[in-house]
Amino acid sequence: MLLRFSPLTVRTWNRFRSIRRGYWSAVILLVMLLLACFAELLANNRAIVVYHDSTLYFPTYGAVIPGRVFGLEYQYETNYRELQNKYTEEGSGNWLLMPIIPYSPYETTVKEGSYPPEPPDLSRSHYLGTDIAGRDISSRLIYGFRIAIFFSLILLIINYAVGIALGCMMGYWGGGFDLIFQRIIEIWSNVPILYVIMIIASIITPNFMLLILIMVLFGWMSMTWYMRTATYKEKERDYVLAARALGASTPRIIFMHILPNAISIVVTFVPFSIVSGISALTSLDYLGFGLPAPTPSWGEMLRQGTDNLHAPWIAISVVAALVLVLTMVTFVGEAVREALDPKKHAIYE
Amino acid sequence: MNGVLLSVKNLKMYYPVRGGILLRQTGELRAVDDVSFEIKYGETLGLVGESGCGKSTVAKTLLRLYEPTAGQIVFQGRDLAKISKKEMRSLRQEMQIIFQDPAESLNTRHTVGSILEEPFVIHDKGNARQRKQWVDELLQKVGLPADSNTKYPHEFSGGQRQRIGIARAIALKPKLLICDEPVSALDVSVQSQILNLLMQLQNDLDLTLIFIAHDLAVVKHISDRIVVMYLGKIVETAGSDLIYKRPLHPYTQSLIRSIPIPDPVQRSKLATIEGDLPSAINPPSGCHFHTRCPYAKDKCRTDVPMLESASDNGEHKIACHFAGDVGLAI
Repeated sequence: MLLRFSPLTVRTWNRFRSIRRGYWSAVILLVMLLLACFAELLANNRAIVVYHDSTLYFPTYGAVIPGRVFGLEYQYETNYRELQNKYTEEGSGNWLLMPIIPYSPYETTVKEGSYPPEPPDLSRSHYLGTDIAGRDISSRLIYGFRIAIFFSLILLIINYAVGIALGCMMGYWGGGFDLIFQRIIEIWSNVPILYVIMIIASIITPNFMLLILIMVLFGWMSMTWYMRTATYKEKERDYVLAARALGASTPRIIFMHILPNAISIVVTFVPFSIVSGISALTSLDYLGFGLPAPTPSWGEMLRQGTDNLHAPWIAISVVAALVLVLTMVTFVGEAVREALDPKKHAIYE
Repeated sequence: MNGVLLSVKNLKMYYPVRGGILLRQTGELRAVDDVSFEIKYGETLGLVGESGCGKSTVAKTLLRLYEPTAGQIVFQGRDLAKISKKEMRSLRQEMQIIFQDPAESLNTRHTVGSILEEPFVIHDKGNARQRKQWVDELLQKVGLPADSNTKYPHEFSGGQRQRIGIARAIALKPKLLICDEPVSALDVSVQSQILNLLMQLQNDLDLTLIFIAHDLAVVKHISDRIVVMYLGKIVETAGSDLIYKRPLHPYTQSLIRSIPIPDPVQRSKLATIEGDLPSAINPPSGCHFHTRCPYAKDKCRTDVPMLESASDNGEHKIACHFAGDVGLAI
C-alpha cells in the first residue's frame, strides 16, 4: 500500500509551509545540519582529494597519510597546505583540493612577526580571523555548531523519551503512581541545575555524554507535565473507550491511540527545547564548566570574545552565529506552533 | 432461543469524590444505584432517562469499561464483575458498544481501514489478506462505499461516521450490542436510517440490543422492552407498548407527555418536567423523584420505594409508593 499521510497531517504541513520565514528557517537549518555532518569536508587541514603521480588519494576520512607518500621528507602527517604550495611551484601536473576553510579547529597557525589573534585575512583563508590561540574562527564555529546542535538533539531525544514515557504512565494510571511522581517532579525541579553541574564539573571533567547525562538527570521533568495532562484528557475520550471495549491491551492503547493524538503538543516544544539546549551548553562553556578545552565550542569562543574586545572579530562572529541560529530555530518553533494551532484545525460540530 | 443472555443484579457503580491534599475520598457519586434487569436473546431493551441519570454508566459498566462497585453482571452464565481481565478480554468479542458521538469514538489519526481492522488485529484473527476482505465486507454491510477504507473519519458525514462505528462494533460478530445514544448526535433525517440499519443488522446477525436514549420517541421505534431510569435507579420497566399506553410512574408519564406531538391543537398539552435533575452526590431522601413529582406526599420524602410488580405477570414493574393512585392521571 502506498504511504499516505493523513489529510490532517497534510493540512498541518501545508500551513507550516505557508509560514514562509519558519519554513525557510527550517530548510536552512536542515541544510546546515546536513553540512555540519560533513564538516570535515568544509573546514579541515586535510585535503579532500590529492592527485599524486596518477593516483587519487582521499585523506579526509581514514588513517593519517605520512608526508613521504607525497614525496615530502617527513614521516608524520602531511601538511596539505604546504603540499599545495609545493605542487603549484613544481607545476608537475599533481594537484590537490583543499576544503573551503583549510584549517582544522584545533590547529594553531601563527603569522610570522605577530601574535594571535589575527583579524580576518582572505589571502590566508582566515575568513573570520583567528582566536587568541591562533585557531581559525570560522572552522571552530562550524565544529562548534555541530557539537552544540547534536548535543541539543541528543539531549532532547533522551529528555523527551523519559518525559513522554513517564507522563503517559502518570496520566494513564493516575492514582497513587501519579500522585507520588508529581511530588517527586516538583521536588526534583527545584534542584538548581547550574550549581549541580558546577559542583560536578569541579570534581570531574565532564565529557560530551557525561554532560548530557547530567542535563537529562535534571531536565527530564518538563515534558512529563504536558504528556500527563494530554494523556489524562485523551484516555477518557470515546475512541479510547472503544479500543478498550474491543479488548486492546494497555500498550496498544497508549502507542496506537493516545500517543498519536497527544504528540502534537510535544512537536510544538521541540524547536524551543533545541534553543534551550544550545543556550545551556553555550552558557556552561562560557562559564568554563562545559566541555573540556580544546573542544570547539561557542561558549568558549564567546568568553574569548568578551575577554578580548580589542579583537572584535571574535565576539562579532560568535554572537552573529548564535543570534542567527537561535532566531531561526525560534522562527521554526513559531511556525510549528501556528501550524498545529487547534483553533484552526478542530472541527466543532 | 428464549433464554436470558444478560442478567444484571443489584449493579452499583459509585464514583469516589476526592478532595484535600492527599485526595482522600470525601464522598461518592451514585451514578448507578442498585439496578437489576434481564435481557433475553434477540431482544431489544430500551434504556431511557434524562442526561446524567446513569444510563451511559450502566452501558460502560456492563462492558467493564468502569469497574462496578457492587453487583453481578451475568452474561451467558458468567459473572463479568468477577472474572479476570484476561478472560474479560476474550469475552469482549461477544459484546460491543456504539457510542453517541462518532466524531469522538473514532480515532482521527487512523484510516477507516485500520479502524475496522483493529478488532481482528487485537484478537489475532486472520492474516492481512483475510482481514482486508473482512473490512470490505463490513463496509458493504453497513452501506459505505468500498473505497472508504483509505479515508479518514473526518472525511465522512456524521451518519456515515456512525456507520463506521457500527461496522467496528459488529466486526467480531458480537451477541450483545450496546448502543449508547447512537442517534442523538445525528440529524433527524439520518437518525431513522441508522435505526433501520441497526434493526436490519439485528435481524441478520441475531443481535441482542441494549438501546440507550434520552428520548422516548426514538426508543419506541426499536425496543421490545423499556427501562426508565432516574438518578441511578430504575423507576419503571415494561413492554414498550404497555409503557406508552399505561405508564404508571409519574416520571415516565411526564417523559411521555413531553414527546412533541405534530398537531398544533394538542400542542398545548405538551408538558415539561419542572426543575433540574438533583445531584447524585447528594441525592434527595426517600424517592429520588419527590423534588419534582407533582403527586409527592410525606411518605415519598422519607421512604425509598422498591421496584415492584404492577401487573399480574410481573412484566410491568414500578418504583413508586402510589403507583395505583397516580397511574390513571395521564
